[in-house]
Amino acid sequence: MDPVKKITKEDTWRSDDLKVHIEAHNEESKRRSKREEEHRKYRDGESLDRRRRDPDRDAKREKEKRRERESTREKSKHRDPDGDRNQDDKLEDIREDRYKERKRERERDNRHRDGDEEEKRHSRGEKETGERRRDREKDRYKDRDIDMYSQGARGTNREGEKDRDRRRTERDRERKSETDRRKEERRDGEKDERERDKERERERRERHRARESEQQRHEHEEKQRDGERRERRSDKEHSGHKEKEHRRDREDREKRRRDKESHVAHTSHSREAEQHHQESKESKDYFHSIKDGDREKAREREERDKRREKRHKEASESKRSDRERKHKDSSGHDLSERINRDKEVENEETEENKQSSQDRNDYEEDFEDYEEDFENVDEEEDDNEEEEEKEEHDKKLREDKRELSPKRREEIEAIQRAIDEENARIYSARSKPTTAESAVTQSERHSVDRSRTHGKIIDFVSAKQREVSQKVAKKQKQRSEELLRLIDLDFSITFSLLELPPVNEYDMYIKNFGAANTKQAYVQCNEDNTDRDIQTEEVNTTDKWTQHPPEANAACGGSRASEDSADESTSRINTNSQRLTTFLRSAAQVMAVLIEENMAESNSVKRLRSQTDALSFSDGCIQLNTKLPFLHGRQVSLLQFSQVQRQTLLSVHPPSSKSSAVRLDSETIICVWNIWEPSRPQKILLYESEVRCCCFSPGKVTLVFAGTEIGSVVVWDLREHSGTHLNLVVGKEVWTLRYPTFSTDAVLSVVGHLSPVVSIEPVLATADTSLKSTLTADIDESLGLSFQLGSLDENGVLTLWVVVELHKGNDSGSQTDLGLRPGGKVKLLHSSSLQTTEKSPQDVIMGFGPPVSLQLKFLPSDSNHYFIGTNMGLVRHGTRHSLKVLPKFYRSQFDSCRPVEVTALDFSPSGEPLFLVGCSDGTVRMHSVQREDPLMEWSGCSSGASILSVQWSQTRPAVFCVLDAASDLHIWDLTMKDYVPFVTENIHNDRVTAMAVFGEPAKQNTFSGVALAKQSGKVEIQYFKESLTVPNACDTEKLKSFLHNAFLI
Amino acid sequence: MDAGASAYLIRPNYKDKFKAVLAKECIGEILREQLYGAQYDPEEAPALSRALADSIKNKLRDVGFDRYKLVVQVVVGEQRGEGVKMAARCFWDADTDSYAQDIFMNDSLFCVAAAFGVYYY
Repeated sequence: MDPVKKITKEDTWRSDDLKVHIEAHNEESKRRSKREEEHRKYRDGESLDRRRRDPDRDAKREKEKRRERESTREKSKHRDPDGDRNQDDKLEDIREDRYKERKRERERDNRHRDGDEEEKRHSRGEKETGERRRDREKDRYKDRDIDMYSQGARGTNREGEKDRDRRRTERDRERKSETDRRKEERRDGEKDERERDKERERERRERHRARESEQQRHEHEEKQRDGERRERRSDKEHSGHKEKEHRRDREDREKRRRDKESHVAHTSHSREAEQHHQESKESKDYFHSIKDGDREKAREREERDKRREKRHKEASESKRSDRERKHKDSSGHDLSERINRDKEVENEETEENKQSSQDRNDYEEDFEDYEEDFENVDEEEDDNEEEEEKEEHDKKLREDKRELSPKRREEIEAIQRAIDEENARIYSARSKPTTAESAVTQSERHSVDRSRTHGKIIDFVSAKQREVSQKVAKKQKQRSEELLRLIDLDFSITFSLLELPPVNEYDMYIKNFGAANTKQAYVQCNEDNTDRDIQTEEVNTTDKWTQHPPEANAACGGSRASEDSADESTSRINTNSQRLTTFLRSAAQVMAVLIEENMAESNSVKRLRSQTDALSFSDGCIQLNTKLPFLHGRQVSLLQFSQVQRQTLLSVHPPSSKSSAVRLDSETIICVWNIWEPSRPQKILLYESEVRCCCFSPGKVTLVFAGTEIGSVVVWDLREHSGTHLNLVVGKEVWTLRYPTFSTDAVLSVVGHLSPVVSIEPVLATADTSLKSTLTADIDESLGLSFQLGSLDENGVLTLWVVVELHKGNDSGSQTDLGLRPGGKVKLLHSSSLQTTEKSPQDVIMGFGPPVSLQLKFLPSDSNHYFIGTNMGLVRHGTRHSLKVLPKFYRSQFDSCRPVEVTALDFSPSGEPLFLVGCSDGTVRMHSVQREDPLMEWSGCSSGASILSVQWSQTRPAVFCVLDAASDLHIWDLTMKDYVPFVTENIHNDRVTAMAVFGEPAKQNTFSGVALAKQSGKVEIQYFKESLTVPNACDTEKLKSFLHNAFLI
Repeated sequence: MDAGASAYLIRPNYKDKFKAVLAKECIGEILREQLYGAQYDPEEAPALSRALADSIKNKLRDVGFDRYKLVVQVVVGEQRGEGVKMAARCFWDADTDSYAQDIFMNDSLFCVAAAFGVYYY
């Protein structure tokens, strides 16, 4: 309607409410148009707002109203009385709800309840007859006044007491059951009001029936009240939220009322008065408008209307003054006393109002309680009625407002303004006395005040907010429920955010004051002076050796573990040292020889050669250094070369008569020489007695055997260490003098020689080896030292010895082998002995003495055959196994037997079965092995001097040397001359006592010569000229021709 | 909510996850920026801590951490040689929620800033 003032409040009104209100108002709207307008005058504040909120809806409502009005108007005209009663019954149905509502209302607003109380009474009165109601009203007012006064100042009014009594009786009656009450009512009605229509009574009865039928209820809609009631009921029938809204409306209304209470009371005197006047007029009009037949009813209605008006005022928070005025207005029925009393009450109440509204409320509450004591039975009904009336009243208000027409807007606005002003004034006034009251209430009031002017939206908004918040909370709750099922919440560990230890006092002091006087001038950082160091494990190193090709199953070696390796290495060193010593020994010899040769060739050889140019056959000579202290004054009895190592020479120095510086006079000294090393002998051997013969071991020169004058055979082992022998220091040089390793002296005499051993000869294993005589050291080594040795004594006993080498020497000496030197390793075992000489023949008996054996030789081609030279000029031939062999004797060409000693015997080294025999008569014979007679016999060459030695040349088969006792050396070359010696050298200045031929048949380095032992003790080595050394083809031919000739003969 | 009743995002995306290291950098940066050479002043400390907390929160918001509720606590105290011990304990879902903290100290004051990220499911 008024677009400018379209402010809110719309929400407070629901269409249903409005409909109800409209319906309720329909009946009266026509009749009471005037009155409604008057209502509007003082209700405009609300109505305005309401109207303006929803013009469309209002318009609809208007239409509906009209329609309903038309429809209901007819009904109302004849059904009015029924409606009343019916409504009462219907109300009972919804009593309980109402009751609750009422309770709530009571709680909310005490003052409102005041009005309710009044309304209750009014309604009670209404139910009963008009008179009774009037009376009761009077009573009630009286009662209330009395009660109030009696609480303040007790019972002054006798009439009040009477009234009370009367009312008590009435209430007693009312306390009976509802049915009773109805009867009572009827009775009362009969008693009190005869004028009450029969129709009404009938309707009342009908109402009982109609209680169950709702349709009937709908039909009873003639009066405003009835309509209102129905509205309410229909409200109830509607959904619950309407109720709520109702309630909310009611609350709003109550608030409004409260507000009004506070301010309208003062301002609206005039208006209310006016209203009352108008009402009275209305009622009059009403009366006039009502038909005559309905007069009584109309009267009732009038009264009711009046009451309603009064209630209106009261319900709209009119004060006592208002009430008073109402009483005054309605004074047509009221007693004058009552008026006075009311006035007094009013005065008091107004005072109370000013002081505190609460007090009054209390009073009224008390009063109420008091009344309720009597009205317990009725209460329900009363409540209902009360509710009804309230509703009625509310609806009226609403209707009034709704009916507001644009015409009156100005008026309304003016009134609003006035109200606002009043509000402001009142609040300012109130705030003064009620400063004690909290500011909150004030502010509340202010807000309420404001909300009133701006509409009631705030409450709704808050409600909405509440609703929204509830909704949100519900949502959140559900959400949390669902989520908590999915999530595990737990307490985390305690995070340490900061840990700041307290600073101790000293640090604090330093921090605060320590640096007070210092200043940092500059910083030195030694950045460029950096140290670098690497620490690593020290590398372990071990020595390893390797050998290719592997020796003795060891290709490599070294220290695997510390201890084992040490042992192993030492053992290896030992083995190696053995090999090394052997190597060094041999190498040393070689080196020594080389050095000696160099010396000899450079010095002595040339010198000697120059000296010995006299010898015609000589190509040069070397003189062995025999000027040794222990050799001083000794002659050389014997010279002997090794068959294998042809440079090795033995020289036997028998004891001399002259005494020497060294005490070795009685002993024979044997020197082992290397002719290429003439400066000193290799070894020096000693023996106590005279040595008659000596020889080297076959093969390598390791052993020296000797046969002695006393009939013993002795062995020297040249390998023995020098430390175990006597060392003789002569001058600066140290000489090792060796005694024999083994001697047969201690061997039992049974097996030993009983006469001087005249010859000793090794038994060569095979002819081949002896023939070739080129046995290498290796072969000799492999053969070992196990060989046999033959020794011949003067009696012709040939003894064979087995040479045994022990693996280990015993330094403490041997228990069994007494002849063995302590630590010695070589010994001789007696193998066999045989008597080579036969039983003395007649010759010997004839006076030539016993036969004497002088020389022993084994046949080089067969070592089983031995040849023995005797003193009878014969060479005896035999075998070791005593087999008969032919020829038995080898004799001279001329006489078979004569006393001539065979002094020399030598087999041809070339392999031809020839041997030379030298005799003491100066003859030299050459025999073939097969023939008894000699192939050649030379007798006159030596001029009768005894032959000392005959030896074949080692290199030329047809050459041999003969030395005779006259110190003449004859060299025969059978190819040149076979009847006289090729060369004869007579060496007279220093007699030659012994001679030995040496030579190396090897083609590449052929040399040959003869060693000559002089009487002075010197030993000369004479090298033959090349013509005597180098063999030629005719040599063997000559020898073969000799053999051939001999067989031919 | 009724529509998404069955679809909750229980775990954050990896890129949105509260990364303590990242947050710590942010915190440290802000502390260094704003507290460099600062002297403790009891008058200004409350405002300072509040400002720090706000700026840290804003910074972290800029970094990301969607659907995270960030709680930033800043404590500024004076350094007078006293011992200080601070600790925090949380009731939360350790899978999603985390915290980051950094400390700034100079001669005059110490400042501890802790940011707790609590995932909003």
